[in-house]
Amino acid sequence: MKHSVNRPPTPDGAEDQGNEPILQEIIKIKLIESGEKERLMEMLRERLIECGWKDEMKALCRAYVKKKGRNNVTVDDLVHLITPKGRASVRDSVKAELLQRIRSFLTSAAL
Amino acid sequence: MCARNSIYTTPKPCKHLADYKLRHGFNTYYSIRNCLKTTPNGRTRVAKHTTKIPRCSFCDRYQGRLYFCLMCSSLWCPTHILLHTQSEKGHEVAIDMNRSELYCCLCCDQVYDPDFDKVVVCNQVKDLPGGSKSKTNGFEACGEKSSKRKRLDFGIGLDLKKSKLLVSMRDRRAKSCYPLGLRGLNNLGSTCFMNSVLQALLHAPPLRNYFLNDRHNSIQCRKRSGEKLCLLCDIDAISSAMFSGDRTPYTPAHFLYSWWQHSSNLASYEEQDAHEFFISVLDGIHEMESKIRNSGKDDGDCQCIAHRAFSGLLRSDVTCISCGFTSTTYDPCVDISLNMDTSNLSSSNANKPIKPDEKTELRDSSKQLSIRRLPLVLCLHIKRVEHSLVRKISRKINQYMQFPFSLDMTPYLSSSIVRSKFGNRIFTFEYDNSNSSAAYEIFAVIAHSGMLESGHYVTYLRLKNQWYKCDDAWISEVDEGIVRASQCYMLFYVQKLLYNEAIEDSSFVHISPRRDPFDSTAGCS
Repeated sequence: MKHSVNRPPTPDGAEDQGNEPILQEIIKIKLIESGEKERLMEMLRERLIECGWKDEMKALCRAYVKKKGRNNVTVDDLVHLITPKGRASVRDSVKAELLQRIRSFLTSAAL
Repeated sequence: MCARNSIYTTPKPCKHLADYKLRHGFNTYYSIRNCLKTTPNGRTRVAKHTTKIPRCSFCDRYQGRLYFCLMCSSLWCPTHILLHTQSEKGHEVAIDMNRSELYCCLCCDQVYDPDFDKVVVCNQVKDLPGGSKSKTNGFEACGEKSSKRKRLDFGIGLDLKKSKLLVSMRDRRAKSCYPLGLRGLNNLGSTCFMNSVLQALLHAPPLRNYFLNDRHNSIQCRKRSGEKLCLLCDIDAISSAMFSGDRTPYTPAHFLYSWWQHSSNLASYEEQDAHEFFISVLDGIHEMESKIRNSGKDDGDCQCIAHRAFSGLLRSDVTCISCGFTSTTYDPCVDISLNMDTSNLSSSNANKPIKPDEKTELRDSSKQLSIRRLPLVLCLHIKRVEHSLVRKISRKINQYMQFPFSLDMTPYLSSSIVRSKFGNRIFTFEYDNSNSSAAYEIFAVIAHSGMLESGHYVTYLRLKNQWYKCDDAWISEVDEGIVRASQCYMLFYVQKLLYNEAIEDSSFVHISPRRDPFDSTAGCS
């Protein structure tokens, strides 16, 4: 016998990992197709403005541009600058609301 | 920093965009017009593929920013768009699909073109149901209609030389230590509401200068109108008395009498509302000047001193949530009333009062208020009354409210709000170029203490960066902390330019009263 008997069984994790991305993909595509993503984006924009997140990001960008000079900054620079900070500073309440909306969408779309 | 005169300067196009426009002009802009889709909230997206999900032609990703090539309509993500430009000559300009903004692939940066933005906005406006009516509104917003620019007469603020001479002569009599113009007013029986507003009005730079420059001559006035009672003459008399150098408290009896004749419904010894009085005085001034000039112009164009100083223009956009149709109206105003948010005890925006650009839900529509034209003197009225429907009583909101000493009104201007409504567009608004800036400095605060029915008004005046408390006949120097801690009821801001002028006026000599605290006349404590 060439293969070892003591070889551990193929972990279940591998199989699940194979499935998850596909499910995510489906959800995302469904969100876009139904137009729900647009609505969620609008709601998100509103919330982020309300809680002052947009102003915070704007201030960050302004400070950066001031430092570097107006003509030495590209949109990409700014995006790379504020993406990590932005993601980290989104209020939990906003995240929770968004999740709730997605969940209710999923139940209604009967996935 | 860019030039201070215009808040928004149109950025110059990059070399690639300029070349592109030379080659193709507006053709490609017009051709993508059909692909532009407007969401009800005013964002414009490029939506060519209504069935498929837009994906990058190279890596198939559909999330994040996607760019739509203006030449060949292919889609690319930011990482791979450079590949496209390198392989196809002439395909340098693209549009961000979600935002409808131009992107130069060679500069790897956003670029701006007012012509492109015009196409986008006109398309947006066209999409709104309501047809031609909203189109006109949209074009107005585009700044294509040139309406008369309202120039506020700055002349009233600049002619201080004459008044300086007048004042410095009388200065020799002044024993006191405080700046000229500071004088207590005697209470004639619950008239603190009147005294407090008078203090604020007489120290508003445009009005102060108007009276000091003798713009309303009592002798000529009486000759002309033959009337015994003129509110302006009375205010002129008070102003002269205030700036005479005499520190003994002044009794504005004649003014009170004149005002009672004008607003007979408020003529009593009861406590009145300071804001109501303020409006009624401005109204009285307006009426008086209209009679003199025999002109009945509406508030927007009126040249009476009250309107020249206080009149601004509010813009109200009411949008139907269902169909997106917006109707815009302009209303003149002499002050802005703000509601206190009783639920919001400590918020991150605690250093700003609640502004009137909040959206109010009214059935199926939303209303957006903005300021089309700022006045010289901005009066903010804080509504401190709370009506309880359950108990059927009104009570005063005693909550303290923080307010800034320097105020920038730019975010509340119509130009700012309309601009943000259409996304990141380049507009030239005919009222954008600020002859009048949006920076204000506070100069007077009317504070109220006590209950709704029986309370007391005092005015805090800021002269040459020192705060003074004007409590009827008693004037005292106070710390700015006291002012901040007061229950502010009316806030008076003046445009920074006029405020700075007033400070630089060197004829006002200020000696600290701490040298001789008791060697002063009554009324100066």
